[in-house]
Amino acid sequence: MSLLIGASTIGLILALLALGVYLSFRIFNFPDITVDGSLTFGASVTAILLVRHVPPVLATLAGFGAGFLAGALTGILHTKFKIHGLLSGILVMTALYSVNLHVMGKSNLPLLNEKTLATAAEHLAMRLRGGEQDVGILGWSVGLRDLSMLLGAVGLVGAVGGILYAFFCTDLGTAMRATGDNPQMIRALGVSVDFILILGLALSNGLVALAGSLLAQYQGFADVQMGIGMVVWGLASVIIGEALVGTQRFGFLITGAVMGSVLFRLLVAIALRWGLNPNDLKLITAVFVFVALVAPNLVRRLRSPVPKPNPA
Amino acid sequence: MLDLDQILKTFNPGTPNEVRALRGVSLRLERGSFLIIIGTNGSGKSTLLNAVAGTFLVDTGRITLAGQDITRWSEHQRARLVGRVFQNPFSGTAPTMSIAENLAMAALRGRPRGFGWALNARLKGEIRDRIRTLNMGLEDRVDNAIGSLSGGQRQALTLLMATWLKPELLLLDEHTAALDPKSADQVIRLTHEIIQKDRLTTLMVTHSMQQAVNLGDRIVMMHRGQVLHDLQGAERARVRPEDLLARFDQVRRREQLDPAVAELLQRSYV
Ligand SMILES: Nc1ncnc2c1ncn2[C@@H]1O[C@H](COP(=O)(O)OP(=O)(O)OP(=O)(O)O)[C@@H](O)[C@H]1O
Ligand SMILES: [Mg+2]
Repeated sequence: MSLLIGASTIGLILALLALGVYLSFRIFNFPDITVDGSLTFGASVTAILLVRHVPPVLATLAGFGAGFLAGALTGILHTKFKIHGLLSGILVMTALYSVNLHVMGKSNLPLLNEKTLATAAEHLAMRLRGGEQDVGILGWSVGLRDLSMLLGAVGLVGAVGGILYAFFCTDLGTAMRATGDNPQMIRALGVSVDFILILGLALSNGLVALAGSLLAQYQGFADVQMGIGMVVWGLASVIIGEALVGTQRFGFLITGAVMGSVLFRLLVAIALRWGLNPNDLKLITAVFVFVALVAPNLVRRLRSPVPKPNPA
Repeated sequence: MLDLDQILKTFNPGTPNEVRALRGVSLRLERGSFLIIIGTNGSGKSTLLNAVAGTFLVDTGRITLAGQDITRWSEHQRARLVGRVFQNPFSGTAPTMSIAENLAMAALRGRPRGFGWALNARLKGEIRDRIRTLNMGLEDRVDNAIGSLSGGQRQALTLLMATWLKPELLLLDEHTAALDPKSADQVIRLTHEIIQKDRLTTLMVTHSMQQAVNLGDRIVMMHRGQVLHDLQGAERARVRPEDLLARFDQVRRREQLDPAVAELLQRSYV
């Protein structure tokens, strides 16, 4: 049970990553690799601030801001310097690796004795429950710590998802969705496509960095390697989410990305429990995304027979 | 109103693919005038409209619109003054977004966009009212994705979007060419109504001599990146589709003659 709760919590935290990837890959159709660096960037900035005893809320917001800047930089490289989108992301991601090492001063920064959002959630739950350590749910005994984290994650992700949804309903957010849909049209309506792309990538990487920041606080350390392969992870969640909700409405897709992230994390936890070698995880994730990207086309091609040449 | 002064545009200069698409075009348009542009394929009609809309910056020359020198303005800056309908019905609307959302974006053409709700009850009501004037029965479907509509319906909506805020200049580039005859008629009638009602200054490209003669108050014929004929006033009033076709024939004959003459000259001099 605590395995499932832990997996769900991480799934929820990484749902913010999935939302960021949804924004860049699906709204803009922009393959943004910055994610691998900005996730760690959010974690490292938050971690070093927590070590310096900055209040957790501020440290977390700073993590978001760090990712926001990283994403904006990728957007600027792409739009103002005309560098290929993929390469822009790779450049920023690569640079961030060194930046993260500098920020943390070493490759791994533990947060065991620091006040974090995680300890804050735990304290709050403790106070509400009057000091009990375990809670009974459906006959299971669940650690209060685990439960408070899960509920905290639910609240946070719910709030961020809600804000993102609301943003997409504003004039600016609507223009952002249209930019991905038809840049020619939105430009003819007076919107700078460059500006919207920079803003969108900033927002996307801000969300990703927020995921990194929360993940570091949840697991109690930031590590310079923690972002590796996270793009694919987020993409897998988005794809699962799309399959789950089966529509193009963005409200559903936001919910879907969150559900996809949690489901994916649960599947991974179960697979690991059944003896999957953790070293194979990234390989399997990559293969999964490959299949998910290719399968729809393949199915379509198999269904519609190849047109025969006209008998003259 | 619109003043084009010696516009030059060469694509891919200095390469084997060099195209001198505009070779010194000068045009002056009064406020409220409706100019039809005709010309052979590749004569530079679309390039001229793109130059005005700011799709690219011209090599030399000056563009003045509504008293402002917009020569160096980017496309999205010019959108404040210019409304536009493209030839391709897919170009003017965001397909996965609803009719209402598309029109709500058009209602802010060229204005700053912030954190206000894109759609509210009042705006949605206004959108329904304006769509009702199209007589296409779309007013009950404003929440449907635009991608599910026919080309004619999309072009009609794009026209509505381009003129929701009265533009200083309306650009129409063969906006009915991709439609079936019936939808094309419908969209042309709508175009006529809107331009009349709002007295819009308009540049319209068409391949239909019938449209050229029936609409507008001035006809310009382009050829090889230049203005070949400019029919105004009494001359314009007299012109019939056959006359325009005759001018096309003239161009074609001269075109055929030129290479032959060149060859003749070459043979006798080399
Ligand atoms: N972006 C571009 N890059 C290179 N060449 C271009 C570009 N746009 C137009 N051209 C070339 O400029 C010339 C004029 O093209 P334009 O599209 O303006 O013609 P048009 O008069 O609109 O023709 P049509 O009647 O076929 O629409 C053509 O030779 C075309 O190939
Ligand atoms: Mg053209």
